[in-house]
Amino acid sequence: MNAIRVENLTKRYGANEVLKGVNLKVDEGEFYALMGPNGSGKTTLASIIASVRIPTSGSVDIYGRKSWQAKEWIGYVPQENFSSPKLTGRENLIYFARLLGYSGSQAKSLVNEMLGRIGLSADADKRVDKYSGGMRKRLEVATALFPGVRILILDEPTTGLDPSARRKFLGLVEEVKDKQTTIFLITHLGSDAELASRVGLIDNGEIIAEGEPEALKRMHGLVDVITVETAVKSDKVADVLRNFSDEKRLLETEAGYRIYCKHGDKVLPEAVRNLDQIGCKVTRIEVARPSLEDVFFKLTEKTVTEVS
Amino acid sequence: MSQIAAAFSRTIKEFLRERAVLFWTIAWPIVWVLIGSFVFVSGAPKEIVPYLRGSTTISMLVFALMIAGIANLPANIASDRENGLLAKLMSMPISPRKDFVGRILGLAAFSCLAAALVIAVGFACGARFSTTDIGVLQAVGFLLLVICASAGIGLLVGTFIKHVHGAVMTGVGIAVVTSAVSGMFMPYLALPLSLQQFARVYPIASANSSAIYALMGEEIAGYNPLTVSQISLTVALSVFLLILGTILYSRRCWRTE
Repeated sequence: MNAIRVENLTKRYGANEVLKGVNLKVDEGEFYALMGPNGSGKTTLASIIASVRIPTSGSVDIYGRKSWQAKEWIGYVPQENFSSPKLTGRENLIYFARLLGYSGSQAKSLVNEMLGRIGLSADADKRVDKYSGGMRKRLEVATALFPGVRILILDEPTTGLDPSARRKFLGLVEEVKDKQTTIFLITHLGSDAELASRVGLIDNGEIIAEGEPEALKRMHGLVDVITVETAVKSDKVADVLRNFSDEKRLLETEAGYRIYCKHGDKVLPEAVRNLDQIGCKVTRIEVARPSLEDVFFKLTEKTVTEVS
Repeated sequence: MSQIAAAFSRTIKEFLRERAVLFWTIAWPIVWVLIGSFVFVSGAPKEIVPYLRGSTTISMLVFALMIAGIANLPANIASDRENGLLAKLMSMPISPRKDFVGRILGLAAFSCLAAALVIAVGFACGARFSTTDIGVLQAVGFLLLVICASAGIGLLVGTFIKHVHGAVMTGVGIAVVTSAVSGMFMPYLALPLSLQQFARVYPIASANSSAIYALMGEEIAGYNPLTVSQISLTVALSVFLLILGTILYSRRCWRTE
């Protein structure tokens, strides 16, 4: 049975169509990641599935029920930090437990168990404004893990976290996932989406590709990616590198460039020689495996971090 | 009931742990009780000084209740909207009415605490009241109307002003300006005629005058607000503001767009 079934979903704000006939199915127990740049409609889609917004047309079913009739099965974690900074971690979780109908004593005992599960027992009685970003995010995910939740919707959960906190957080998500819990992750980071069993790429309100992460990369002919970091960036450098890239495709990054080719180990020394000939100092060059950002770039000629 | 208890507990804890809230709702009125009790009564006949202090205490108590409802409550609502808590709550199987009731009860409990502290300081400064038990009950009734009207205005501000800073500034602005022009910072008889009319209509000022009259009589209140027509108007407007604020808060803040 589909845990989430989205059919011909459209959302319009005035003349602006944010979602354009989106179709999507997520099976029970699946870890599905929806990846796209800012403004692509992924948060809008997540909030419609969570019943926070209503679609202009189309439907969302959660285990065969309309989404607003299935709220007790949904654990939604919005992008913003919604936990109260003036309350302690324990008080925040007790608040949500009581909102769900647990009595005071039931809430206390359940919260103690959850705090242990998310690794915040030692900091449970500190105010949340004293928590690090990673601790706060773990607390907020815990508010979506009360018994009975079958679908966990996480909207950009690792935004603002340092790499170490990000890894710990993703480790928590992996731990808490069980066979029955479906995870729907919204992200613009390919490295987060790689953890999913299936990824949907969204751009301009439409899903442009869908599949397992490795299958998506193979499907779009991405073999090797060479990351080049140079002392300076210029059109001359870009022109040289473009000649080594399949389909003359070049992605400019913050520190340099990425080019796509079939035999990276042979192309790499040639590229270095040519850059040296034009007097360009290479600070770092390596052959990497393609990422989902590379798939997105191949399909749209845009980076995931661009605003649509 | 647990949803109401949850919203109540959270609201009151947040108010008690927020320095700006404690300043405006408790510290500021207490400062004015002190100033009013020792600075503004110099020159007044000795025999009425305790009652003038009583009047100042009641007015500052009403101001504390006003600020709690008109500024703190909308800030609390706007903060929940800005930081995604409202979206989180909308995704959960909870009732907006129960959230609202919990918030209002939390506000009322905090307001009572603020009121108790202001009264205590007033008594310590020599405030006196000449009243009966019925007068005290009447005064409590009018103070409850202040809480209703303030909560109603606060819900309206919190519904329409989206950002925390804007909600706080709007609330404080409304509270300070309406207090100043409706005779809460000065004797009723010192107001120009037009503002005296406003003070009779504006439910918070009217309730303030009614509480003062019930506790200290017409000489201190400046006029007799305990007429059938004025009491009816005060009750009707206070309840109307609360109902209007509740309806718009439930419909607009919790509206799925």
